[in-house]
Amino acid sequence: MSTLREFARHRYLFDQMVRRELRQKYKGSALGVVWYLVNPLVLMFAYSVMFTYVLHRPFQVHDYALFVLLGIVTWTFFQNAVTTAATSLLDQGALVRKAVFPRETIPAATVTVQLVIFVSILVLIGPIVFVVHGSLSVWILLLPFYVALIYAFALGVALVVAVLHAYFRDVAPIVGAVLLPWFFITPIFYRAQQFPGATHHHWIEPLLRWANPVAPYVDSIREVVFYGQWPGAAETAYVIGGAVLVLGVGGLLFRRMAGELAVVV
Amino acid sequence: MSSETLRPGEIVLERAVRTFTVRADRGRTLKELMIGRRDPDGPPPVKALNDVSLRIEPGETVGIIGRNGAGKSSTLRVLAGIIPLQSGSVRCEGRIVSLLEVGAGFGRDFSGRENIFLSCALHGLGRTEIEDRIDAIIEFSELGHFIDVPVRTYSSGMFVRLGFAITAHLDADILLLDEVLAVGDEAFQLKCERHVMAKVHDGATLVLVSHDADLVERTCERIVVLDGGAVVFDGPAATGLPFYHELMGTATPAEAIP
Repeated sequence: MSTLREFARHRYLFDQMVRRELRQKYKGSALGVVWYLVNPLVLMFAYSVMFTYVLHRPFQVHDYALFVLLGIVTWTFFQNAVTTAATSLLDQGALVRKAVFPRETIPAATVTVQLVIFVSILVLIGPIVFVVHGSLSVWILLLPFYVALIYAFALGVALVVAVLHAYFRDVAPIVGAVLLPWFFITPIFYRAQQFPGATHHHWIEPLLRWANPVAPYVDSIREVVFYGQWPGAAETAYVIGGAVLVLGVGGLLFRRMAGELAVVV
Repeated sequence: MSSETLRPGEIVLERAVRTFTVRADRGRTLKELMIGRRDPDGPPPVKALNDVSLRIEPGETVGIIGRNGAGKSSTLRVLAGIIPLQSGSVRCEGRIVSLLEVGAGFGRDFSGRENIFLSCALHGLGRTEIEDRIDAIIEFSELGHFIDVPVRTYSSGMFVRLGFAITAHLDADILLLDEVLAVGDEAFQLKCERHVMAKVHDGATLVLVSHDADLVERTCERIVVLDGGAVVFDGPAATGLPFYHELMGTATPAEAIP
């Protein structure tokens, strides 16, 4: 209870940290948030050219470029949330060493900054989906719900990674190394059933879809925006359960390890 | 831990023990975690607080002095709740306001005004509470139009002005100051001292760490001398300062104990 009161008391601090970081990112930049769209667009372009013209469409998806773009921006949110949170406690070491406040505020602020960027990009992509598909499905109304769930999931992972990295400096490089292959085994530029060999080996598709905790989050957002359909009860239960579990465990672990942070950062 | 309720401004430190591992890199590596112990090559742990007990009443003015590495700053950080104890207990009642390092957490690219918001938020203040006192803070800091300039352009004196002006307007029950009044010009220093004494007069508790014997003598009625993480003197300033000078080997004939 006293922890909750501490959070409530420092709500404005959280607000300030998010604003401060966003403004710092935009300072002196003419295009602002648009820059965050450039990287996913370049990747989208590269994968589109690669899989449409070089490899002659191994993955049969209509409007492949848009399909890839949505996957990439969702993945990019997760990846940036985790990698920026990893070093966040060290980056804000001066605050941690000299003041008393809930330490969760720091990684939570970095993840929230990524959320703001992610949502801004989704708002820009919305009209593109409308133009390409000619209409938007009502299921897009569920988008905030699935975005909130991937936010909770990413926040849980971020809390774990941030507090572990403060104690063990090998964590951030390990996370960086793990994220790259993780990107390729996540169904982002292909659908799980299109993975090489998936038609012969029926275990591949469920493995790709369910064993990788990020996959259902990416898929659910793409279902409501790109396919304009309900992602299904199983996937929805998975993303809710995963978010609750990961955020719960992450929060508890962070609490347990937060005591010595002023000494180790 | 006893369960008596403390009055606002009261501090009770019981048998506090805190050691630090002194290492070049402060984090541990996974290798050490996996082999289950720390590298034995490093220097031995330092006992910053070695069985320290203090009871400070509301409205008391306490100066903590001692040589470098005696545990003064660690004591303040323990009282502020920044670092936990390994054994013993610490209890402080009321709003604790600490100024442990001037400009800690100031965003260098942000203006003084923006940093006031962040610093106050760090102490748990909300937007309206900050807006209510921002004019008073700016006036106290005497920074004038520099308040809207990025703080990276500030001189160290200006940093102190801003840092102290913020601290001064946080309605502290317990004020923890670490060697910060010494910076800044004489006029501002005097203004800060007067402000602190006014707060004390209103019932706030002051704990001050300083090497400036004159400052401690002016502001503190009680002196705690730390040496090697232990309390070696705890009593009125009149006898505490001569004790300190003798400990330091700097006793002048006028100050020496007869």
